[in-house]
Amino acid sequence: MLPLSRTFVAVAVLAAAGCSLQPFRSQPPTSTRPASQGGSGPVITEPPTVTSTMSPEPVIQGPAPSIPVPRERPKVAPATLSPASKALVTQAQTQRKKGDLPGAAGSLDRALRIEPNNPLLWIEMGRLRMDQRNYAQAESMGRKALSMAVGDNRTQSAAWQLIADSLQARGKNPQAQEALEKARELGTQ
Amino acid sequence: MARRKRKPKSRQKLQRGFAIIALLALVAAIVLVAVLDRRVTQQFEGRRWTLPARVYAQPLELYAGQNLSSARFAQELERLGYIARTPVDRPGTFRRKGDSVDVYVREFRFSDETQPAQKLHVGFDGEAIAALAGAGGADVPVFRLDPLLIGSIFPIHGEDRIIVSPAEVPPLLPEALKAVEDRKFESHHGVNPLAILRALFVNVRAGQVEQGGSTLTQQLVKSYFLDSRRTLRRKGEEAIMAFILESRFEKADIMNAYINEIYLGQDGRRAVHGFGLASQFYFGKPLAELNLPEVALMVAIVRGPSYYDPRRHAERALERRNLVLKVLAEQGVVKPEEAERAMKAPLGITDNAGRSANYFPAFLDLVRRRLREDYQEQALTETGLTVFSTLDPLLQEKAEIALSDELARQDKSGRKAAQGLEGAMVVTTPQTGEVVAMVGGRRASFDGFNRALDMKRPIGSLAKPMVYLAALQSGRYTPASVVMDEPIEYKLESGDVWKPNNYDKKVHGPVTLVRGLTQSYNLATVNLGLDVGLGPVAKTYVQLGLDEAPPKYASILLGTAQLNPVEVAQMYNTLANGGFRSPLRAVRAVIDEQGKALKAPELEVTEAAPAEAVYTLNRMLIEVFERGTARPAKKALPPGLVVAGKTGTSNDYRDSWFAGFSGGHVIVVWMGHDDNATTGLTGTTGALQAWTRLMASISTTSFDPLMPEAVEDRWIEFYSGQETSPYCSGSAVRMPFEVGTVLNPNPACPPSTTVEEAALMQPLLQDAPNEEGVTVPADAAPQTSNRP
Repeated sequence: MLPLSRTFVAVAVLAAAGCSLQPFRSQPPTSTRPASQGGSGPVITEPPTVTSTMSPEPVIQGPAPSIPVPRERPKVAPATLSPASKALVTQAQTQRKKGDLPGAAGSLDRALRIEPNNPLLWIEMGRLRMDQRNYAQAESMGRKALSMAVGDNRTQSAAWQLIADSLQARGKNPQAQEALEKARELGTQ
Repeated sequence: MARRKRKPKSRQKLQRGFAIIALLALVAAIVLVAVLDRRVTQQFEGRRWTLPARVYAQPLELYAGQNLSSARFAQELERLGYIARTPVDRPGTFRRKGDSVDVYVREFRFSDETQPAQKLHVGFDGEAIAALAGAGGADVPVFRLDPLLIGSIFPIHGEDRIIVSPAEVPPLLPEALKAVEDRKFESHHGVNPLAILRALFVNVRAGQVEQGGSTLTQQLVKSYFLDSRRTLRRKGEEAIMAFILESRFEKADIMNAYINEIYLGQDGRRAVHGFGLASQFYFGKPLAELNLPEVALMVAIVRGPSYYDPRRHAERALERRNLVLKVLAEQGVVKPEEAERAMKAPLGITDNAGRSANYFPAFLDLVRRRLREDYQEQALTETGLTVFSTLDPLLQEKAEIALSDELARQDKSGRKAAQGLEGAMVVTTPQTGEVVAMVGGRRASFDGFNRALDMKRPIGSLAKPMVYLAALQSGRYTPASVVMDEPIEYKLESGDVWKPNNYDKKVHGPVTLVRGLTQSYNLATVNLGLDVGLGPVAKTYVQLGLDEAPPKYASILLGTAQLNPVEVAQMYNTLANGGFRSPLRAVRAVIDEQGKALKAPELEVTEAAPAEAVYTLNRMLIEVFERGTARPAKKALPPGLVVAGKTGTSNDYRDSWFAGFSGGHVIVVWMGHDDNATTGLTGTTGALQAWTRLMASISTTSFDPLMPEAVEDRWIEFYSGQETSPYCSGSAVRMPFEVGTVLNPNPACPPSTTVEEAALMQPLLQDAPNEEGVTVPADAAPQTSNRP
């Protein structure tokens, strides 16, 4: 994998994140939870109130579900960054360019404290770990991002790309190839 | 000649003797001066002070959408020593007007950059920040306030100080010091004999020490060598050294050294030196921001930090402060009107009787231990490091309150065993693995036995999730699997037979996994654990972040493994983090005196357990609050807040535990007696109460993990494990299963049952098994509650 295309994927994802018209996770700021940590997967404990904060599409057709849960996973809108994390990611990228890796890590740490459930930030942190030659952690960050991007193909693709790069950096070429396939497959969906 | 001859030899000898003695004395004097010169000059010039590492809390991050009201923001600013005043024209001031706050933020050196002092406008929209703007009105996406100083790492019985440069000293302070302590400072040569005589005269007349005759230089020398013996020899040496200092150094340097050196108070084992730290210690803000009455109080304290301790002897301190103000007016340092006005001001010291505010010994203890893994003791206590920690001061305060309120309630409960309990609390953030609060005992500000770190206790039923995780990981069990809750006799290696019991001494027969865990049945858990195997169960402890697996005794299934609250927090943090293990961090960054970043632990994540198994376990732990042992707490939590957790009670009610999490916080609580006596409390009636107090009082999010791709939700019957419809009975529960899992359908009410069909069946379904004993009243004694 060429570093150029690697950078391209990361930049593309972040650019998409920045340009997205959708407001960052549509939580009103007056709710009891901080707006920064919008709901992700539905955990429903009361049977009649089957709702999802995760998907813009209705999960269940009709008021009363005949089948409790749809087998088809809903597609999720690609993750986006809040303005605060976007500013911190930009700052981290500047710091990385200057070779200030601890500084970049600090900025991403700050963003992660604001939006710990945002997979894009974990991918960004993984990219930084690549720069730091900490490939095992780069892969872990990629896997963490995957777990937070269920149904979000674009973000999953970027995470697999990171995992592929980290595997390749350690000479695990067959696995890297597999990861790359997944990245491509998800990227075209 | 004759005269010369007459001169007796003895006299000649005597003269020579005198000469030799005089010479020796001179040599001795020169040597003494040289020795003293070396000592005092080295002290003054060399590494003048050993600088303990300074530890800061995490800074408050401000950004649009942040859950923070203008009132709470103002409180946070006050905690940082910011003063509410108009106009907002210098660092350390702010103004709150309705839903907007203008603040002049102080300069601060963070680990990555120095943030200059600047004005910031913060607009609020009720409970959240709406927008931030800089001085020119430009939009600011994210901004961090200067963090709270929470302590220093100093040697035992050590000196602590914050060095200030002349630019950080309010000009009034040296003037006031001169006026009160040493009027001839600018002209004397280190000693002021007239002052000594005057002091002697005044003191003899008054019959007590009212005036000291020591110059500032002499006081400085005296402080350098920490010898309070009042012998003439010491006095002489002091005078010589003061003279040496004066001849070698500028007055301004001596004044600056004095300001940073002098002893100004005692904070437990730490000696507060220098006006920089004293300003934080007494007023909670930087020296540069002190006003006239505050400067006067500091000058008053110089004379006797314990005699004029403004916390213990407020009246005495006030009287002396006003005397200082009077002298300042007499000497023309300040205008008489200013002095008059200042005399009416209160002392203005931060409360927290006898302790500096923001003193968190248990957390500092953790920071110190974590730093010792990477740094030499000497580097920590002497080289002026700055440590950026993970502590969240607001959360810490709430944790202390939650624990002490609950302990106070137990004290008043009338149950003897629950009186005088001790407790400990640890709070972490799941995704980033940071320890944000820690309480080490009933008296949170007491630097003593740290129960969060140094106390290992059997974890009781907190161990059950590990058994169920091992079962789920084996691939042979689902939440609907049925295990037998029936008596078991297990033959131990010693030849004895182990016969565990349920807490309610009842046997429940076949129970589903979800029921066995949520209602904390011992027999079901032991049977399950033995079937899964002790090896795999012990292994989960390491997966979740323990350094060592517990010994493979069958009793670990019921929680005989002894852990401290931080270890428990580490394990539950891995659960809350979806099976990703992040070693808990207390330190974010360390910089040296020049601002260079040094070694600090980085954020790490490791996929430690399969996401599907952890997700399924967590969903069962949510049910603990819906139909298990934590149900009594549900009503005290904010409506709609989803949390997960587990109660723990050790044998004979010696330890009451609760470990659980929301989306944003993992909280572990332990309550018990130091001498291991019974508390009479279960996890539900003790630790869960404190846990709930804290969880309900903080800003947090629901525990809301994304479902892994390989699992799907299905409705099962809580008691039988049969697949059913949500409309059939109140005991239908939604649980995750691996896609394609075969479940037995409930013959009376299969999954396809619609709401209308279910309505027709209602009379039949009224007879659904009733949950026994799960409605434990929050205040119930353990005798009436059935389970841990």
